Amino acid sequence: MSDAAPGRARRGAAILALAAELARDRLALAGLLGLVLVVVAAIFAPLLAPYDPAAQTVLARLRPPAWLAGGDWSHPLGTDHLGRDVLSRVIHGARATMLIGVGVVALAGTFGVAVGLLAGYVGGRVDGVLMRVVDVQISFPGILLILLIVSVLGPSTTTIVVVLAATNWMVFARVTRGAVLSARRSGYVEAAQIAGCRDGRVIVRHILPNLVSPLSTLAILEFTNVVLAEAAISFLGLGVQPPATSWGLDVASGRDYVFVAWWLVTFPGLAIMATVLCANLLASWLRVTADPQEREKRFARALAARRGRARASREGERTP
Amino acid sequence: MGGYVLRRLWHGFLVVFGVTAIVFVVTRLFGDPVALMLPLSASAEQRAAFAAEIGLDRPLVVQFAWFARDVLTLDFGMSLWQRRPAMEVVFERLPATLLLIGAALGTAMLLAIPLGIAAALRPGGLVDRLVVTLGLVGLSMPQFWLGLLLILVFAVNLRILPTSGSGTPAHLVLPALTLALTPLARLTIMLRSALIEELAKPYVKTARAKGLSAGRVFGVHALRNVLVGFLTLAGWELIVILAGYTVVVETVFAWPGLGLTALQAIQRGDLFLMQAIVFTIAILIVVINIALDVAFKLVDPRISLE
Amino acid sequence: MSIRSGIVGATTLALVGLAPFAALSQEITVAIGSEPSTLDPHLRDDGGERQVNDNIYETLMARTPEGELVPSLAAAPPTQIDDLTWEFDLREGVRFHDGEPLTAQAVVESVERVIDPANNSEQMAYFGTIAGAEAVDEDTVRILTSGPDPVLPSRMYWLKIASPALMGSEAIGSEPVGTGPYRFVSWSRGNDIVLEANPDYWDGEPDVKRVTYRFVGEAGTRLSGLMAGEFDVVTNLLPEFTGTAPKSASVPGLETSVLILGTDNEATADPRVREALNLAIDREAMAQSLFQGYAEVARGHHVNPRAFGHVADLEPYAYDPERARALVEEADAVGRTVVLVGESGRWLKSREQIEAVAAYWAEIGLSPEIRVQEFSQYLDSLMGDGPRPDAIFVANSNELLDADREASFIYHMDGAAASNSDAEMAAWIDEARVTTDVAAREALYERIFRKGRDLHYTVPLFNLQDIYGLSERIDWQPRIDAKLMIDEMSVE
Repeated sequence: MSDAAPGRARRGAAILALAAELARDRLALAGLLGLVLVVVAAIFAPLLAPYDPAAQTVLARLRPPAWLAGGDWSHPLGTDHLGRDVLSRVIHGARATMLIGVGVVALAGTFGVAVGLLAGYVGGRVDGVLMRVVDVQISFPGILLILLIVSVLGPSTTTIVVVLAATNWMVFARVTRGAVLSARRSGYVEAAQIAGCRDGRVIVRHILPNLVSPLSTLAILEFTNVVLAEAAISFLGLGVQPPATSWGLDVASGRDYVFVAWWLVTFPGLAIMATVLCANLLASWLRVTADPQEREKRFARALAARRGRARASREGERTP
Repeated sequence: MGGYVLRRLWHGFLVVFGVTAIVFVVTRLFGDPVALMLPLSASAEQRAAFAAEIGLDRPLVVQFAWFARDVLTLDFGMSLWQRRPAMEVVFERLPATLLLIGAALGTAMLLAIPLGIAAALRPGGLVDRLVVTLGLVGLSMPQFWLGLLLILVFAVNLRILPTSGSGTPAHLVLPALTLALTPLARLTIMLRSALIEELAKPYVKTARAKGLSAGRVFGVHALRNVLVGFLTLAGWELIVILAGYTVVVETVFAWPGLGLTALQAIQRGDLFLMQAIVFTIAILIVVINIALDVAFKLVDPRISLE
Repeated sequence: MSIRSGIVGATTLALVGLAPFAALSQEITVAIGSEPSTLDPHLRDDGGERQVNDNIYETLMARTPEGELVPSLAAAPPTQIDDLTWEFDLREGVRFHDGEPLTAQAVVESVERVIDPANNSEQMAYFGTIAGAEAVDEDTVRILTSGPDPVLPSRMYWLKIASPALMGSEAIGSEPVGTGPYRFVSWSRGNDIVLEANPDYWDGEPDVKRVTYRFVGEAGTRLSGLMAGEFDVVTNLLPEFTGTAPKSASVPGLETSVLILGTDNEATADPRVREALNLAIDREAMAQSLFQGYAEVARGHHVNPRAFGHVADLEPYAYDPERARALVEEADAVGRTVVLVGESGRWLKSREQIEAVAAYWAEIGLSPEIRVQEFSQYLDSLMGDGPRPDAIFVANSNELLDADREASFIYHMDGAAASNSDAEMAAWIDEARVTTDVAAREALYERIFRKGRDLHYTVPLFNLQDIYGLSERIDWQPRIDAKLMIDEMSVE
């Protein structure tokens, strides 16, 4: 449609506008910053963590956090029942969370989008069969089936990623197919086809751009589901295995010590909650921002607020 | 209607067939049921005898046919752990799980309605912001963690509720609350935004202009219009919980239901019992799906059945 | 099934509700780690089943809380007719809970039921030498063995005698009938098992009138229940919680932790290196920091101190890092890699013990390499046919309290977990297994374990204590065989 250079410039301007809009929404901004923090912790864990998360000091077991009596700043968040540094474990735990969360979403997303594109673009019998598969698989007893599979194959991080991806791709396929269908209905896809565009070009230039915003919201929401599922499965002892770390695993092993060392379950638990909360905040902002109708409403209400008629605030619209 | 039910039954059959195929492939092709289920001390003869007993020496096609026949007749063999038919164990534990889910979902629905209404009355107001923020926090809480915190506060520190087990209504409170949190958060947020949207529609303004009271507009028109969506989401929550989230809560509270039994079966390598549980839940989900769709159709004939 | 147990549960609930308050003080709740898979006393090797059935059923021989073998359903210790035959006189006037008298026939049927190959009992590990049983008269029974078996009286402390009326019926798995101090009331599956005192018990009606077993797998949940006042007795309290729990009691347990050294491995073939591995470790400090003192340092060998065959005057290894370092230098082993295999989570603080030992070994100039393996892989390292690891950790449990277990398993060159090729020692162990003369047998074991100590075949670590959490009102001294005998408890 247009040359590359002006397109890039326009995209740059759009991103700037988006950033400005984000900056005005304090909670969404906080969510984004929180997620960035988790990503940084995951990537640079060995540099940030004061200790090796698996290093044990038998003589320094169950030390409380620094601000309590008996604690000191050599272990800011205390030590666990093996004398391992809790802060280092929380930082390294971000790795398992991001690796599994992002890995599953990428795998499930790629597969789901491919299936959705195929079903929506080709249509007909292919569409019928693929969507029937999606419908059927959505009715599977998810977590139970995952537990059964993991127990047979043996728990490991790879197993978890594959199994979670295999049980979470369907929603991507549905959303993609829906977006493809509505893009087709709008007519310009057919126009492009008539004009002689190849299928690949139609998909890349005309259909994919329509998918970016619904899929990014969906990806973040799915990320929260995967993080919680991974934590639950690791908590049950069927996910990440020691000596590797995971927040869910740490809550499970700290549970036996909850009366003498509350910090063992508290910090990893808080880490899970904060990560998921940040993602939820960002996702609900993104959902509103990506939807022209919702944006209009937000704009109208912001206007109303400025007029002082109601004390509507941006937080009001942030949810589904 | 009849044709529709038939189509749904066919769909249900596909679901059960799909689960059968996956379980078969995973347990027979990827895993080794003999190594999984027999203790390490088992002799080579014991292993061979067990393999023959469950038909592992037959061609795969025959194995699958047998397996499918067992599924159709709900015969999942003997639980190795309890040494009685696996289905007997399942039927014994199922009521406790259904009770827990019923209590949790009931609580979530009952609380979501007033909270959603309160928030929707003044979008952007203090109550709304509070409800929405708490809802997001609720969606972000790992259930096992919440359960541990509730035990610490209400059972150990305040000593007003039991820590674990079942038997009396008091035993039900903490596990049901823990399980209710996620559906409560999702239902409240959904109800709130659906109501806000509904109240912005022209007919509401007309009704208000005609002098109908706010309560009447709310109770009779707006709520009724969002109710189907609300119940659909509640039905979906029921299925999500059934599909596995009771495992975590039942484990934390030692609640003697199917979820805890599933975990114990896994820990003891009791594959037959685990299969029986997975199939029972799959069939339950199919039945609930059909029942919900038909019920909605009866309640609101405007709903199209595909 | 579910409906019936529901009704039973509801009835029980109603009965508890109606019971007079005075009785409440004599009712206790015990939290055990796992629900019995069945209440059949003869089929499973299941800790949960034992913890309940030990109170319902009795055995010909029993042990005092200190571990001494004494007659129980037998009137006196058995007499040996010949190498393969032991004769027991039965206690008179004992009745099963269903009113049937205890007869020789009941003993015969119980023995035959356990050893019947058709029943494929998991308890055969304890009864492998028993060939059969025969009734001499109403009150006299003979147990026959397939070879000379000095441990037979100890074995009879494991074999529960059930009512003959019960043994033919399905009910044996769910409604046990024995002769013990408690009789079965109800089992609400998944929830609890209730027993009540047997007023006609031959040794007098016990103090605690009613006991409810609850099944709680998680140590943390058990402790919270104890703290919240729901439980009176919880098993497997962690040492850290002895200060937190309302009350606690401990007793030397059945488990001994030990590292088995590969005497044919390059790294550990030199006895000087093996001695150094022993002298390097400060066992006292480990017992304090890891177990808060709830562990006893092993006396130079890995036999349970309460077991027959334990050599009380064998020297424990001293903590002497200087000498250990010198030995390593002498053997020209400075910097040598020693592979230490273990697992994590199966036994109390196994991983912590492994890590601490490795740290001590590093201090005397060796380079230990820790391999913490997944449990099935670990079992393969421990008992498989592959090459022996330089050192492997195991917490060995001895339910029969007889040194044959430790000797055969770890010292006998053909033993499942042995890492040596000492044919002379293997011959001694085989001899001890069939020597029925008590003194001669004891002398053999002393010779065996002294040699093991002299050549440093193992690194014995600790005899671990079992710790129980108790509510304020319970008065109880736990038993060394870890049995939960309710009739030995009292409520203040």
